[in-house]
Amino acid sequence: MMPMIKLTNISKEFKEGIQAKKIKAIDDLVLEVQKGEVFGFLGPNGAGKSTTIKILVNLIRPDKGKALIMDRDVNDTAVRKHVGYLPENPYFYDYLTAEELLWFGGKTTGLSATAIKNRADELFQKVNLENARKRQLRTYSKGMLQRAGLALSLIHDPDVAILDEPMSGLDPLGRKMVGDVILELKARGKTIFFSSHILTDVERFCDRVGIIVAGRLRLVDRLDNLLVGNTKLEDVFLREVEKAGGGIEI
Amino acid sequence: MGRLLTIILCIALLTVHIISLRKITEQEKLIPKGEDTAYVMPSPILRVTALEFHGLASDFLFLKALVFLGGTYERKENPRVKPWEWKWLYHVLDASASLDPYFLDPYYFGNANLTWDGGLIKETNELLEKGSSYRTWDFMLPFYIGFNSFYFLDDNDTASKFLMEAARRPGASAIYADLATKLAYKDRRTENAITFQEYILEHTDDPKLRTEYETRLTALRGVLYLEKAVVSYKQRFGVYPRSLEDLMKKHIIDALPQEPYGGSYYIDSSGKVTTTSESKLMPYERLNLSPSSEPSSLMKD
Amino acid sequence: MNTLWPVALITFKEGIRNRALYGITLLALLFFIANFLISGMFMQEVGKVAIDIALSAVSLSGLLLVLFVGINLMAKDLDKKTIYMVLSRPISRSQYILGKFLGMALLIITTMVFLSVCAALSIQLIKMVYPNYFPRFSWPMILLALSFNTLSMILLSALAFFFASFTSTSFITLVLTVIVYIIGQSLSDVKALVDAPQTVGIHVSAATVKLVQLAYYLFPNLSVFNLKIQAAHSLFLPASYILWTVTYGLIYTALAITGAAIIFRLREFP
Repeated sequence: MMPMIKLTNISKEFKEGIQAKKIKAIDDLVLEVQKGEVFGFLGPNGAGKSTTIKILVNLIRPDKGKALIMDRDVNDTAVRKHVGYLPENPYFYDYLTAEELLWFGGKTTGLSATAIKNRADELFQKVNLENARKRQLRTYSKGMLQRAGLALSLIHDPDVAILDEPMSGLDPLGRKMVGDVILELKARGKTIFFSSHILTDVERFCDRVGIIVAGRLRLVDRLDNLLVGNTKLEDVFLREVEKAGGGIEI
Repeated sequence: MGRLLTIILCIALLTVHIISLRKITEQEKLIPKGEDTAYVMPSPILRVTALEFHGLASDFLFLKALVFLGGTYERKENPRVKPWEWKWLYHVLDASASLDPYFLDPYYFGNANLTWDGGLIKETNELLEKGSSYRTWDFMLPFYIGFNSFYFLDDNDTASKFLMEAARRPGASAIYADLATKLAYKDRRTENAITFQEYILEHTDDPKLRTEYETRLTALRGVLYLEKAVVSYKQRFGVYPRSLEDLMKKHIIDALPQEPYGGSYYIDSSGKVTTTSESKLMPYERLNLSPSSEPSSLMKD
Repeated sequence: MNTLWPVALITFKEGIRNRALYGITLLALLFFIANFLISGMFMQEVGKVAIDIALSAVSLSGLLLVLFVGINLMAKDLDKKTIYMVLSRPISRSQYILGKFLGMALLIITTMVFLSVCAALSIQLIKMVYPNYFPRFSWPMILLALSFNTLSMILLSALAFFFASFTSTSFITLVLTVIVYIIGQSLSDVKALVDAPQTVGIHVSAATVKLVQLAYYLFPNLSVFNLKIQAAHSLFLPASYILWTVTYGLIYTALAITGAAIIFRLREFP
C-alpha cells in the first residue's frame, strides 16, 4: 500500500547567528505514514518537529532527500489540494472575518461558493466559532485563532491533515474539541500527522508515534507496543531524550 | 487634591506658553536680518528637492514673495525696501518661475513691482523673457518686455521686436502692431516694419483693415526703397543727398515711388527718409501718445 | 488562474480596511478644504494653484498609501508569518506574488479613484467661486494626470514587492522604496544638471556622468508620469508621449513583479 506520507533521508541545515554557524536541524530522517493513521510526532523544543512539518508543506526545502505526499513530490503545488496544514501559532490577516478566511481557503482549493458555505457552516459548528464567524480576526483570542486555523485547514476536506501543535493555546474544552475532530477524521479514513507536547492527548488518539531529538528520529513504533504494562508515554519520551544526550535545545 | 494640582499645573503651563510665544514673536522682529540670510537656493537644486511637487513649490515660493512685499508696507523707513531686498525678491520670483515657468503670477507681480519701485529692469525683462518663451499663448509678457525696453531702457529695437512678438500671439490687440511699426520706423527699422506688416496682413480678413495695411506697406516699401538709394548715394558721394530729387539726378533711381497716402516722400536734415503723411504711419492719435505721456495709459491695454 | 482572484481579493480587503487608509484619506480631505483658502490668495492664476494643490494632495496620499498600506500588505505577510496561511494552499509562489500584486493594484486604483473624485470636486467648487481665474482649463488633462499618477503608484508598489521578496523586515523594504521613489522623481532633473553643470557653476567628473546615465536606465523614471504642470496649464501632450509612457510603466512593472516572483521562488520560511 502506498504510504500517504513518505520522508526519505531528509536532511536540513540552517545557518544561525553572525558567525553563520551551521546547525543540523534534521539529520537523515526516514518516516512513513499509512492511510488512515494518526501519527504523533514528539520531541523536545528545537528538535526539528516544525522543520519537518514545514518541509512537508513546501515552506522549507530539504538539502537532501525526498518528501512525498500521496506519492507526489511535495513541491508539486497540486498536492496541497489534499493537504490541510495548521501552523504552530497561526496568524491571519487582521481585518478579514473568519468567514472570509474560509472562503479564501475554499476558493483556492477549487470549491464552489455553495460548497464552501456548507462546509463552513459545518466546521464553524464543530470548532464552536458560529457566533464569531462574522467578526474580524483581530478581535479573536488565541484559542479562537487556533480553532479558526483548524477550520481553515479542513475546509477542503483534505485526505491528509498536518497539524503543528494543534492543542497549543487551548483550554481543556478546546483540547477536547480538537481531539474529537481528529477522531472523527480518523473514523472517515483520513490520515493525520501532528506534533505535540501534550503527551496525554497523544496517548488518546495516536496509532503510532515518532520521537525526534536533536534532528534525528530516535524511535518510531505503534503506541500499543510502547505502552506495555505500566509504561507511560512520558517515560518513553524522557528515556529517549536522555539516550540522545540530554537533548537540551540549542 | 491630586486632581486639583494637575489642573493648576496645566493652566500655569498654558499661560507661560502663551506669554513666551508672544515674547518670542516680538524678539524675532528685533533681530536684524542681513543680506546673508537672503539666500535663495539655485533653481536646479530646488527642482531636485521639490521631487514631483514643482507646481506646488512654485506656488509657495510666490506666496513667500507676496507675503514679504506685503509686509514691507507697514515699514516706516525710507527707502521702504532696501536694494538687496529687491534683489532677493527677484531671485525668489525667478526661482518660482523656474519651478513652473508657465505660472503667470511671478511674471505679473515681478513686472508690476520690480520695475517702477525696484529699478531692476534688465532682470525683470529676463524673467519676462523666460515666461514669454513658455507661455506662447500669452501676449502680455512680450508686450511688457517691449514696453520696459522702450520706456526704461530706451531700446527701441528690442521694444519693437517684442511688440511684434506680442502682436503675433492670439487675442493680441491691433495696437501692438501699430506700436511696433511706429517704433521700428522711428529707429529706421523699416524692413522689420515691412516684414511685420506683411505678416499681419496675411492674417487679416477684414477688408477695411486689409486696405489700411496694404497702403501702409506700400508707403513703407517706398521708404525702404528710398533708404537703400540714400545709402547707395552716401557710399558713392560721401554725403547724404539734400533732397530725394538728387537721387534721380545722380541716376541712382529712375523715379520716386508713388506715395500711397497722396503725400510725398522727402529726406529730412538728418538724412532720414520719411513722408509728409508720417502721421498715417504712426497712429499717435489712436493712443493719444506722445513720448512724455504716462506709461499707465499703455498698461491699461 | 482561479487561485489569483482569492489571493487578490483578500489582499484588497485587508488593505481597504486598514486603519491607516482612513488617516490618509482624511489628510487628503484636509488638503482639499485648505485648497479654497490657499488658492484664493493668488493674484492671477487661482485655477492653476487650485489644480496644483488638489493633484499634489492626491499624489501625496497615493505615496503614503503605497508606503504604509502597500508595503504592509506584502511585508507583513513575512514579518507576522501570515504567509503560512496562504502558501499552504495549492498556490505556487509565483501565483502568490501575482495575486497579492493584483490585490494591491486594485487597492491603489480604488483609492486613487476616490481621491480623484474628491480632487475634481474641490477644483470644480473653486472654479464656481472664481470662474474668471481659470483661463486655460482642461478636464481631460487633469484626468490624464490622475491616471498617470495611479500608474506610477502601481509601478512603485511593484518595486516595493520586489524589495520585499528578498529583505527580512518591512522596515528595510520601506527604506528602499522611499530611496527609489526619491531617485525616481529627481532622476530627470539630476540628469539635466549633470549634462549641463555649468548652469549651477559646479564641476562633475566623467565618472559621475556615467553613473547618472546608468542610474537613468536602472531606476524608474517616475517624473515622466508627473503631469501636474501639464494639467495646471492645460498644455499640449502628444499621443506618442502618452503611448510610450504607459508602455514604459507597464513594462517596468512587469519586470519588477517578475523579478519578485523569481526571487520569491527561492525563498524559504523556517
